[in-house]
Amino acid sequence: MQSASLSIESARKDFPILDRKVRDGKQLVYLDNASTTQKPKQVIDTITNYYNNYNANIHRSVYSIAEEATEAYEKTRDKVAKFINVPKREEIIFVRGTTEGINLVAYAWGRKHIKEGDIIVTTEYEHHSNIVPWQLLTKEKGAKLEYIGVDDNGELILDQLDKYLATGKVKLVAFSLMSNVLGTISDYETIISKCKKAGVKTLVDGAQAVPHMRVDLQKIGCDFFAFSGHKMLGPTGIGVLWVRKEVLETMDPFHGGGDMIREVHKYETTWNDLPYKFEAGTPNIADVIGFGAALDYLSNLGMENVRNHEIELTKYALDKMSQIKGIMIYGTKDISKRGGVISFNFHDVHPHDIATIVDREGIAIRSGHHCAQVLMERLDVAATNRASFYIYNTKDDVDKLIQSLQKVSELFKL
Amino acid sequence: MSDPLYTEIIIDEARNAQNEGTIENPDVSQHDANPMCGDSITLQLKVDDDSISDIKWSGDGCTICKACTSVLTQLAKGKDLDYAKNLKKEEILSELGLEYLVKQSPVRIKCALLSLKVLKLGLYSYLAKKLGDSATSFDSLKEEAANLY
Repeated sequence: MQSASLSIESARKDFPILDRKVRDGKQLVYLDNASTTQKPKQVIDTITNYYNNYNANIHRSVYSIAEEATEAYEKTRDKVAKFINVPKREEIIFVRGTTEGINLVAYAWGRKHIKEGDIIVTTEYEHHSNIVPWQLLTKEKGAKLEYIGVDDNGELILDQLDKYLATGKVKLVAFSLMSNVLGTISDYETIISKCKKAGVKTLVDGAQAVPHMRVDLQKIGCDFFAFSGHKMLGPTGIGVLWVRKEVLETMDPFHGGGDMIREVHKYETTWNDLPYKFEAGTPNIADVIGFGAALDYLSNLGMENVRNHEIELTKYALDKMSQIKGIMIYGTKDISKRGGVISFNFHDVHPHDIATIVDREGIAIRSGHHCAQVLMERLDVAATNRASFYIYNTKDDVDKLIQSLQKVSELFKL
Repeated sequence: MSDPLYTEIIIDEARNAQNEGTIENPDVSQHDANPMCGDSITLQLKVDDDSISDIKWSGDGCTICKACTSVLTQLAKGKDLDYAKNLKKEEILSELGLEYLVKQSPVRIKCALLSLKVLKLGLYSYLAKKLGDSATSFDSLKEEAANLY
């Protein structure tokens, strides 16, 4: 159980991995949180406790531990509903992660409702998981995929959305609430109000936003929303898809199998109630329950506190890093419009080399295209380095990263 | 300051990479990329009398990738196709003191050997096209490329 006294300052001690030494005794400095976050012992203990004490399948049996497992699993659904502020628990579907959530929508909603000549709009700063499912769908249906561009400040060029909406052919606009490369927070209010006026459905990829700021789905007003547990202290392999009930009721099943059915006969099947119609097979019970512990942990910290901590850290990092000669930082400098994700390049040294050299100091940053090759093309770079923060990161971590960049300068005689 | 991977030899080789560019009307043009890290290399070859009269590379890669690509093109240029077909990864790695990568870094070995993979794939396509059905004897080349790392 977490105490009410949880604070950002004392959070580090809850993460066993942060004591790790790597690369000949260097203290691990973990700055790849946009990729996945570390897990507090509260989450790890919750999962262990499930396996040690009440491991059983859910929704099926009447014996004691099966009841306990079902209760813990379903309680997490209520925690999710509260965390993202949705009133109807049956709108929450557990999936493997954001990727599976978006694919579920493309398959179960898209294949039914998208027709030849329709347009789906996404943006240039999407993760591949919010591009490829739409490519597959539009190719299958003879529909068209269009992109909202990104300006030099790393923000979406929303005038382009008007142009697409004016065709009257747009059926869905899919965009991320926060870019995983630039950290840009999308102007969802403008996008969604434009789409609502045009009668167009909206899908929001919340993978980068939900872990780092207060997200209120009633305020956002989209139709589909997906996010992942492992980017917010939870285990891998568990995520959430939320779909507005009126829309969910029009959708065919995604996977067929156990638990999603009401009655199965030789040639006919009737479907289970929502949300179970979309949760076929034995789900990831342990990790759903573990995810519940992560939601408790973040709720105790307070998402406003999480956001404020990251604002402070990002401001500090942007200030310090922009003083380094030869550094190129991507995205807006306006801290109110971005999260704790900093993508950069350093002189002409390839990001892969930089990540290897800073790793010698125990520092974990990401290098590569970050599953956003469309954005890399837009920025006209093959790859970037990316440092991304979370609750346990400190200014000291930022200083260490900057010192290690000095080592890159020395090695490459920059 | 020294570093086990970023030796002066490697940094210099990458900085002054040889044979970068493109060839007009190449006999072989082959591209491949490492999806994980974004290294992306195109090799072009001119073949005369079963020998590689010219070889150029273009694309983008990290220091390790560029250095190894540079070495590969220098090794292959002017040699006959049989030599290129049988070129071993150890020959390239040893030029740069990188033999240990094979065992120690499954991630970075991909950077080092991308261009060799591209060369083998390119030669396979070239020979298969040239010899038609009788090219099955070169299937091993394709297999070798696929299993290089």
